Amino acid sequence: MSAPAGGARRTFWRRALWGLVWPRRRERIQPTISGVVLIGLSMGIGTAAYNSASNILFIALALLLSCLILSGVLAWLNLRGVDWRLEVKPPLRAGQEAEVSLLLANRKRFLPTYALWFEFAAGPYEKREPSRPESTITAKGIDVWATLSRAEAALSRGTVHLRTRLDPGGSAGLDWAFTPERRGLVRIELRGVGSLFPFGFLRKLTGTEITRDVPVWPAPVEYRRLMGAAPRRPEGDLRRARIGNEGDVIGLRHYATGDSHRLVHWKASARKRRLLIRQFSSQNSDACSIWLRTDAALWRRPEQFEVMVSLAATLAQDLFRAGRLQSTAIDGTRQIPARRLADLESFLDRLAVVAPTQLPGTPPEGEPAPARPRVNVMTFEPEGTRGVAAYVNGSKTAAT
Amino acid sequence: MEARPQRLSLDELHQLRWLIGGALMILSVATVFYLDIDSGIMAAVALAGIAAGLARPRLPARVPAWVHRLAFPAIVLFFAGDLRVTGQLLPAIVRLDLMLLLYRGISYRARRDDLQVVVLGLFLIVVAGVLTVSLLFAAQILVFTACALCLLLVVTIAESTEGGQAPKLAVRGVVPPWAAHADWGRLWARLREVADWRLLASAAGLFGGVVLVSGLLFLAIPRFQLENSLFLERFVTKRAMTGFNDSIKFGDITEITQDDSIAFNVDLSDPSQAPRSPYWRMIVLDQYGNGGFKLSPVLRSELGRERTSANILGVGATGARGLATWTFYVESGVSRYLPLLGNFWALRFREAQNFRYSPDMAIVSLRDEPASMTAFRVEGMSPDSTELHDRQFAAMWRKRGPAGLHVQLGLQLSEADRAALGRIVAGLAVPAGAGAQEFADRAMAWLRRSHRYSLSPRIPDGPGDPLVRWMASGESGHCELFAGALVLMARSAGYPAHVVTGFKGGTWNAYSGNYTIRNSDAHAWTEVWDSGRDAWLREDPLAVSAASELALEKGDAALAGLMDRSWSARLNSLRVFWYRRIVNFDQQSQVDTLRAVRDVTGNSGRWLREATAAAAGRIKAWFRGPWDLARLVRVAGTVLAAVAAGWGISNLRWRIASVGRGGRTDPVRREAGRWLARVDGPQALVADLQRLRYGPAPTWPRPADVFRNARRAASGSRRSRRRAAWQSRP
Repeated sequence: MSAPAGGARRTFWRRALWGLVWPRRRERIQPTISGVVLIGLSMGIGTAAYNSASNILFIALALLLSCLILSGVLAWLNLRGVDWRLEVKPPLRAGQEAEVSLLLANRKRFLPTYALWFEFAAGPYEKREPSRPESTITAKGIDVWATLSRAEAALSRGTVHLRTRLDPGGSAGLDWAFTPERRGLVRIELRGVGSLFPFGFLRKLTGTEITRDVPVWPAPVEYRRLMGAAPRRPEGDLRRARIGNEGDVIGLRHYATGDSHRLVHWKASARKRRLLIRQFSSQNSDACSIWLRTDAALWRRPEQFEVMVSLAATLAQDLFRAGRLQSTAIDGTRQIPARRLADLESFLDRLAVVAPTQLPGTPPEGEPAPARPRVNVMTFEPEGTRGVAAYVNGSKTAAT
Repeated sequence: MEARPQRLSLDELHQLRWLIGGALMILSVATVFYLDIDSGIMAAVALAGIAAGLARPRLPARVPAWVHRLAFPAIVLFFAGDLRVTGQLLPAIVRLDLMLLLYRGISYRARRDDLQVVVLGLFLIVVAGVLTVSLLFAAQILVFTACALCLLLVVTIAESTEGGQAPKLAVRGVVPPWAAHADWGRLWARLREVADWRLLASAAGLFGGVVLVSGLLFLAIPRFQLENSLFLERFVTKRAMTGFNDSIKFGDITEITQDDSIAFNVDLSDPSQAPRSPYWRMIVLDQYGNGGFKLSPVLRSELGRERTSANILGVGATGARGLATWTFYVESGVSRYLPLLGNFWALRFREAQNFRYSPDMAIVSLRDEPASMTAFRVEGMSPDSTELHDRQFAAMWRKRGPAGLHVQLGLQLSEADRAALGRIVAGLAVPAGAGAQEFADRAMAWLRRSHRYSLSPRIPDGPGDPLVRWMASGESGHCELFAGALVLMARSAGYPAHVVTGFKGGTWNAYSGNYTIRNSDAHAWTEVWDSGRDAWLREDPLAVSAASELALEKGDAALAGLMDRSWSARLNSLRVFWYRRIVNFDQQSQVDTLRAVRDVTGNSGRWLREATAAAAGRIKAWFRGPWDLARLVRVAGTVLAAVAAGWGISNLRWRIASVGRGGRTDPVRREAGRWLARVDGPQALVADLQRLRYGPAPTWPRPADVFRNARRAASGSRRSRRRAAWQSRP
């Protein structure tokens, strides 16, 4: 029984000692100017003490060293029992400011927490296998620096300070705002929690490895709506005096400016405490579906592809708002009906990460072709060198 | 009314920073006053400036801009000039430090300036500590450390409150907002308002931990000494304050006795050897002339060449195991001659010293006046010897005879004075061939008969030597006159003699168990050569005879008469503790301490094991004992009492915690308690009230709603009671 216990004890002490000389990953401790001065003072006084064998100097040295120990203990106590949680408020759109919230809670019983700061970073993220480390011996320094600075430039960094004391048992929230430059999957990371507490001798930074991967929707784009072309009603449909308030009620949507008061569903509005409008089956007669093709042969210019994605996102939102978006599809995937807001958000999430594909968007072998409406399908094609146009039933309906 | 925030605002933090910084500077500057480096005026000016800036934080804004522009060059120029004129590095640096602190005290400080204040202050404190080795240093460094840590903590919190921006230097000539409405009384009230006793207790505990860890580090830091040691004392020249120099004029020693401060403390390893009336010899003065004694060149040459060492091997009783070890702690400014009882076997300093030593005269002279306390240990020193063997003088005496000894027998007196002296000696009626002791006894008896002891002696005016005039008069005199007179009488009778100055007696500190010798114990006496014994006999005309002295009790009996239990003895015991345990702590002490710790740890472990085994045996025996009803009742009663005590302690703890929340219960809890006493339903309301009363604050329901419901419930039950009472009326 004693041998395993002795072994465990040895392991514990070995770990503890290694923990002292080999800090945990992403944990940094740097002396500040005060710290450097203190260390210099300690060395000077220590040298003088040994030189003169003066116990007065040994006392001063012992006090300085114990102050350093106290600093470490207080710093540990300060961070102990503090929880943090990262929250991102969707949606995130390219070019628009996004807010990241950090919720803090101090679980200590009577010790408050002071003087923390939090380092955030946000940058594009691709889900892939981790890269194998490669030697940079053969690489030129300038290339390495250029790569590093490119990676750094793609990152948005920010530091937020906890300006007030975090009382025992209390909680606080901190916000960090950043602007994602382009669509895609963004990794928001709480890179570290730093503190100069208590005496400012050491700058301590603890890595947290808390991340959130969030899609960034394409930026809205301005476009021209061409009134000459519009979704066509199916032939043989009934002629109606007023469009939109006949047929079966197929759903409810939020009120939009210009909607008739007659269309308000009062009971549902009262229940939800906001105005809801009845949607009739007849309203779908001028709805359309969006079909996005990402054929790299079609979209040879990346910037034009980006414009196309932005236009598709903008049109999808406008059409949904107007209750005219029937379904969405990308390449050969299945048509997804756009009945609820979640459907639109799902489409925008897919748009956030869509990329040009090398092959035409044909369905994989063995899988049935998606049921695609033959009419009222909005497709996109390049227009000139920069522009993009949207076509419905072969007619141009919108262009950038 | 809006509640005031329970934390300090940024302005209040800056005010606190200014206040602590000022206190730190005042504490540091005050140390200069007892440094004896002629910087008192500058320190006073610095103190006044810092205090003014502290009292009126708006003041630094009124300092003209040109002062700030010229401050640094002016300070550097002053330092260079100071160094050039005085040629003393350390005092010049201290004055430079004072000027920098003054400047920081009258200008608004950024973070780096606060750091500079800490460093400058620490320099002054440490220099003062090294130079004075005073117990006050311990108190000062502790207070300084506490203040410095508070200052740095406040700076860090202020920086965090400003969003990571270090406190910036204020625009010159503009009063910063925190200084514009600084009110120390209000700040103190706010500090009391936001203070949490648990935090303060934690801070005090942590600081106690710092002191404890410092003590442990002090004990554990490995000690070894480098060569060519650096002494700060080298950069300061100091003069002896007591007057124990190579020459004295009559009255010098008496002047010293007016000073009641401590001259030195002596530890004795074996108090049973403590003499009742020790004579602490410091210097021998053998050349008389012009109304004073001085060290003759002959005797000076006996001191030999200067040596540098930490150990002196003497000619005392070699390997005298039975003799006690004496440890001396001589205060600065006493003398460069070390106090000794006589010859010794070995004298050890804490560190290498430059000294000269005369083994025959048992005199040790340091090269410089010690600027700080000097500690040394003496082994093999006889505590009650009344004679000092001098082989060199004996050889000279045998070789040359009285005719060849011009110094020890020299009388630089006029013929008239010689005649007068001769008449006095003839009046002693010393038989021819009498020994030195007999002559000395007769001479001392005559002196005691003819003169009384007084600290205000009177030497009659007139021609000739003043000492002879005093002897011929019947005036009272002090120890120097008595000792000098005996020397002249002995020399006139053909006995070599000289004056010895030093201290006599002292008190025994009942608390720290050591001799304490004050400057008021300064004394002068005579040593007369006894050719029969080849030794100098100690003769003190103001003391009882040597024979009686030998008969005096020793050890505990002797100490009982010297025992000092006064308050000053209590304070001095602290000083001795400081010297023994801190200042005099060396490598050997470290080894001894570690060995003692190891022994204590080993013993305590063994003791713990034995105690545990014994306790286990007792418990086992108790369980095996016969169990009857009375015993069962006793056990049950004990268990109940323990439970009740536990409940009481937890209740007390809750009450203490409630006291901690500002000396009273939380108002919400108090209000909930009141409603609980008045409301007896419904169940949900009672549960809510109980949660408000006893539950943790984060789980509380909204207090206002609960109290409103409680009010309704209480009024409802009141109405129903009233209705029931009305209905029950006949």
